[in-house]
Amino acid sequence: MKASWDIFCSVVDNYGDIGVTWRLARQLVAEHQVPVRLWVDDVQAFVPLCPEADASAAQQWQQGVEVRAWPKDWQPVEVADVVIEAFACTLPDSYRLAMKARETPVLWINLEYLSAEDWVSGCHGLPSLRPDGLKRMFFFPGFDAGTGGLLREADLLARRRAFEQDPQARQAFLQGLGVFAADNARLISLFAYENSGLASWLDAMATGNTPTHLLVPQGRIMGDLLRWLEIDELGLGRVEQRGSLTVQALPFVRQQDYDRVLWSCDFNAVRGEDSFVRAQWAGRPLLWHIYEQEEDAHWVKLNAFLALYVKALSPAAAQAFTGLWHAWNAGSDMAQSWNGVQEHWQELSEHAEQWCLEQSLQADLAQALVLFYRNWI
Amino acid sequence: MKTGKELKPGTVIKLENDPWLVQKAEFTKSGRNSAIMKTKLKNLLTGYKTEIVYSADDKLEDVILDRKEATLSFISGDTYTFMDTSDYTMYELNAEDIEAVLPFIEEGMTDVCEAIFFEERLVSVELPTTIVRQVDYTEGSARGDTSGKVMKPAKLKNGTELSVADFVEIGDWIEIDTREGGSYKGRAKV
Repeated sequence: MKASWDIFCSVVDNYGDIGVTWRLARQLVAEHQVPVRLWVDDVQAFVPLCPEADASAAQQWQQGVEVRAWPKDWQPVEVADVVIEAFACTLPDSYRLAMKARETPVLWINLEYLSAEDWVSGCHGLPSLRPDGLKRMFFFPGFDAGTGGLLREADLLARRRAFEQDPQARQAFLQGLGVFAADNARLISLFAYENSGLASWLDAMATGNTPTHLLVPQGRIMGDLLRWLEIDELGLGRVEQRGSLTVQALPFVRQQDYDRVLWSCDFNAVRGEDSFVRAQWAGRPLLWHIYEQEEDAHWVKLNAFLALYVKALSPAAAQAFTGLWHAWNAGSDMAQSWNGVQEHWQELSEHAEQWCLEQSLQADLAQALVLFYRNWI
Repeated sequence: MKTGKELKPGTVIKLENDPWLVQKAEFTKSGRNSAIMKTKLKNLLTGYKTEIVYSADDKLEDVILDRKEATLSFISGDTYTFMDTSDYTMYELNAEDIEAVLPFIEEGMTDVCEAIFFEERLVSVELPTTIVRQVDYTEGSARGDTSGKVMKPAKLKNGTELSVADFVEIGDWIEIDTREGGSYKGRAKV
């Protein structure tokens, strides 16, 4: 009998927590045929990722995953064989007590945040002994063999290639979103937190020589975008032209469609954790808006990733790329760094694909979790 | 109770009734303002050692320990002998037990340390928050900076390396903050 899995997700802000856990749950079901219950404390936040979902349902099945509302007033349920506490969300006390009382031991995993820092591989897979006798294992996603890897469906790259080799499919997909970009336009997606550097980047694109079509999924950057456009609203389907730059808002799309957006673009600006990983699988140059942390801890993480990512680039391209990321995350002027990146566009594009291929040689996170469980029992 | 964030070398926590000595503790920020503490623990009953990770806000039962003042008497290989200054009793610790403070332990040091006892057995020592050490080697000042903001590497007598102000010279005595791995505080008046 297959081991049962419970994944607990507390939605703190944005869509990172639910994005990662929903993706993981789907993959465990689809590729490893294990029964998965996904406990979400805010089902409403789940609906944009899975429009078929019912925000008011206490229990529902979506794509083979049993999605359960995680109520404040927790009712006892049978404990699963593997329990994943995503991003250190705290399990319900009574569930934890039931884990302890269970005759067969439960593998309790804390799925941590993604980081490229050196210490991650030293902490990945280590236990946490607790005073109550339970043991919780720390599982870290990451970019090298000593970590849990990155979420990646087995057929992801094959699907991407098939999409890339079918221009009609790309065109049909974009048209389905209401995107009719000029043939010679460079397509860029923009998913970011609020950023005071946006205006200077948009200025640079608007005054640049290359026609650019900017696709902006609904999100927190929209306010800065509207201010720059000097309009109150950018409805879906509406297109705004400023010099060489065409700006268009996109609806919030399901994960599979967001992948296609990334694959359709020449450059992707992403944020947080989930879209950051997906942009790497898209094999396109990317710009990461990292989640800001207290005491500037995010800069250490940003630079740790940059150090890994630019290692195989020429010094000039590495400097230009790093400069762009630093400017974006500092919210400072983007014009110079954006223009600097243009000079290395070809190299950065080839490198993005190479990086994607290198990362795909690692076991993916879902597979690593399944192996971790097999080795544990 | 102690939280994961409060663990430090010398802390003893109780896990399933066994006392575990924290030999090493490394604090790191993970994501979205959360943090973890990677620790090296030693079971004081069995001697078994293991590496454990805690979330910064995990709650752990700590064990109340006896503390006495002690000074380093001598070092012999990996064995460090400390003397209880009140009754001259000698206690031995091996290097692993004091891994966290080892970079600042050296022959001839006169610091009054806190010896930590569990059931009358010395399990660890803590150094004073501020200690004074002599710089054994450092390059000359590169930029003539006197602000103390420009740093350069320096080596202590026992080989420990740390960053010091650019104006520090060989033979200077410096103050070191021993918390969180040890860091340069300033030039000492000796």
